[in-house]
Amino acid sequence: MLFRRIYQFLIVYFIGLIFLLLIKAVLSLSDYVIPGVGLITETFGQVLNTYFFDVMNTMSVTVLGQCISIAMAFGVGIAGRKSSWMGSFIKVTAYNIQAYPIVALAPIIFILLGDGFISRLLIASMICYFPLLLSVLGIMATPVEDIEHFYIITGRMRWQLEVKIRAFENLSKITTVISGSATLAMAGTIVAEFIAANAGIGYSIRVALYQSDLAKILVALFMIGIIISIYQGCLETLGEQIKTRWSVSKGGNTI
Amino acid sequence: MKKKNLIFWMFLFATALVATSHAGETELNYRLKWLFNTSVAGDIYAEAKGYFREAGLKVNVREGSPEKNAINELELGHSDFGVASADQVIRALDKGAKIIVLAQLFQVSPMQWIYRTDQPQIKTLEDLKGRNIGITFGGNDETVMNTLFAKAGITKKDVKIFGVRFDFTPFFKREVDVWPVYFNSQGVILKDKLEKEGEKVYFFNPADFGVNFVANSVITSEKTWKNRPDMVKKFTAALLKGWEAAMEPSNEADVLMEIKKKDKESNDELRRLQLIATRELIKPLASIKIGTIDTDAWKQTETIMLDEKQIKKPVHVETMLKN
Amino acid sequence: MRLECYNLNYTYPDSEVPVIRDLSFSMETPGFNAVFGPSGVGKTSLAKLIAGMEPGFSGKIITTGIDTILYSYNLERLPGWSGTGNHLDKVTPDGKQQLKDRLISIFELKNILESRFSKLSMGQQNRINLVRYLLQDFDLLIMDESLANVDEKLRETIILSIKDLFPAKMFLYISHNLMEVSGLCRDVLVFGKPSGNKGCSIIGGRDYTKGYQPDKETLDRTMLEIMNAI
Repeated sequence: MLFRRIYQFLIVYFIGLIFLLLIKAVLSLSDYVIPGVGLITETFGQVLNTYFFDVMNTMSVTVLGQCISIAMAFGVGIAGRKSSWMGSFIKVTAYNIQAYPIVALAPIIFILLGDGFISRLLIASMICYFPLLLSVLGIMATPVEDIEHFYIITGRMRWQLEVKIRAFENLSKITTVISGSATLAMAGTIVAEFIAANAGIGYSIRVALYQSDLAKILVALFMIGIIISIYQGCLETLGEQIKTRWSVSKGGNTI
Repeated sequence: MKKKNLIFWMFLFATALVATSHAGETELNYRLKWLFNTSVAGDIYAEAKGYFREAGLKVNVREGSPEKNAINELELGHSDFGVASADQVIRALDKGAKIIVLAQLFQVSPMQWIYRTDQPQIKTLEDLKGRNIGITFGGNDETVMNTLFAKAGITKKDVKIFGVRFDFTPFFKREVDVWPVYFNSQGVILKDKLEKEGEKVYFFNPADFGVNFVANSVITSEKTWKNRPDMVKKFTAALLKGWEAAMEPSNEADVLMEIKKKDKESNDELRRLQLIATRELIKPLASIKIGTIDTDAWKQTETIMLDEKQIKKPVHVETMLKN
Repeated sequence: MRLECYNLNYTYPDSEVPVIRDLSFSMETPGFNAVFGPSGVGKTSLAKLIAGMEPGFSGKIITTGIDTILYSYNLERLPGWSGTGNHLDKVTPDGKQQLKDRLISIFELKNILESRFSKLSMGQQNRINLVRYLLQDFDLLIMDESLANVDEKLRETIILSIKDLFPAKMFLYISHNLMEVSGLCRDVLVFGKPSGNKGCSIIGGRDYTKGYQPDKETLDRTMLEIMNAI
């Protein structure tokens, strides 16, 4: 899973790079517009180390932001799963807030919280949170009738059991959404850094953009891609392990 | 048969006429460095007053942004002329781009710093010591400030550096003493805001301390400059005519009206103040002709960038300045 | 103990055709009764109405001496995160351990208690599901094809044991097996074909108990009676 993610990324990255170099060759563009192989390699050597730590910095915010957004999505998803007035109020509110692009809200966040770690974390969580919420709400609001019926008719149903049944029945969907949301959390953090932070790879990209340095941006994209692939691969492996552990019986059977 | 022939020839003649009338007007694209506002007054005015048309040109003046880089567009053939700052030009030359500078719009760089008058005035570079100075990391102001530091022998220990964003709150909250601004746009807005609060401001201009970092200039590709010299001449002349007219105080009301059509963001008074500030930068002295290229300032800009390791080798920018 | 229905009419919210039309019947005293009829005549709908799961019907359902009604059906599932035995333990009320063990033995489930539900055959799944219902407190248990996919011999053993173990309870067993309902059930509520005009009627089944001696002639007569009612 992990290696597949990495080589899939490498294939896409190098196809993109070859495409750019082809355009450069066909239109005989200078290194300023599209850097040549030499310049890209040279830039790789110069900034790889710095960018690695920048991406790791971004990654730390991403992971934390994702954890927060998962907790928030499950909290709201569980609270909003009922077809009661409160449930539908929570659902409608969540859907409506989602309509605002976070990037548009970002300046307000920066003015209120400054341009440090908390703002980055909040924006990353918010960008990652809404798609997660939609999935969690969808899963939590859909009854698994053939399992739940017994507990309802015998008066044994508790909200914890209901959540457990629905989460277990949709485990694959949940792990896919969570690992998919890692990309969103990363994108959110990068956007936040690009707009207003003093650290992270998003900030480095902004600096490179100021200097119209596409070579640096290509290195940044490479580092982001590799590290997000590793992170996603780890999440998927973890998801598989959780699924196996939760669904394997003592006798060794699997679902 | 004869009648049919007549109709055919008349049609052909009419088509030719239409074609000729269009062919007489050369259409070209001109990419600005930033959004439509008062600092591009001359570009707006040249188009609005028909100076381009008089020169037989149909110019599409297009707004710029960080993503819409004029140099890239020149190479890709999306634009014929553009506006770029000297550092962009020098960086592009360093990477093999073929760029020609046709005119230097700002004689004085708008890149300056604002600070309150309740603080000691910065009379020498030594006075920067101990202050909390705002810098846009990666931006021109960082290069300029580093050069000033190097000139005065100031190290990073002597000052406090604050990474600046689009949001001015740290300056308002006095967390930062000296804040980088574009003198004729943000500078005017900040000055206006603080004056309303009863606070007065100074501007710290690096040029006063011998650092002339050239800002916006009109550029074209070497190919266009070589292959279409007439068009280049016509365009430059019409554009500079627009700038001369726009900077003429007697045209102020008319210029402001044309800017207002394009820039709905600012209010009338701010635009007026910005125009006055722009005039100081574009035509600091009546004797200076708009568009004059300050070759020494260009050379100094290149030296600064070389010292700051922003370029790898000398690009001899003076050879690309074709006023 | 009495279950009475008067002039029941029910149409599903998304349909215009009534699934139950003017149905009246009554069943008295505890016992193992059946609902029999072709597919689509409203057997499951009736069961859900009696269990209180479908509102919006007209007519009356009177349950005298029946406080708790449970409805179980074929294809119900147990959660998958642990073995079936574990789930069974969790839903066994205090004091019913012995009953649980006995049912497990009768239903031949001893060897599958460690397995996850999804790993069981459909017959095993239905059996374990029915056991957990039988362990609950109830007065009337509706078994909607709850023994589907269980082999005939074991099915008969199970039904006869249920009758033996729960003589004071009422059961409504929905089944498509004519022989089974004719022989093992007491009252058989027979739904006529929707195309016909026979409506519903109650036919007395043979109501065999453990150790019964089959009487082919009377059983055939009952079966014929039921078929005629359809």
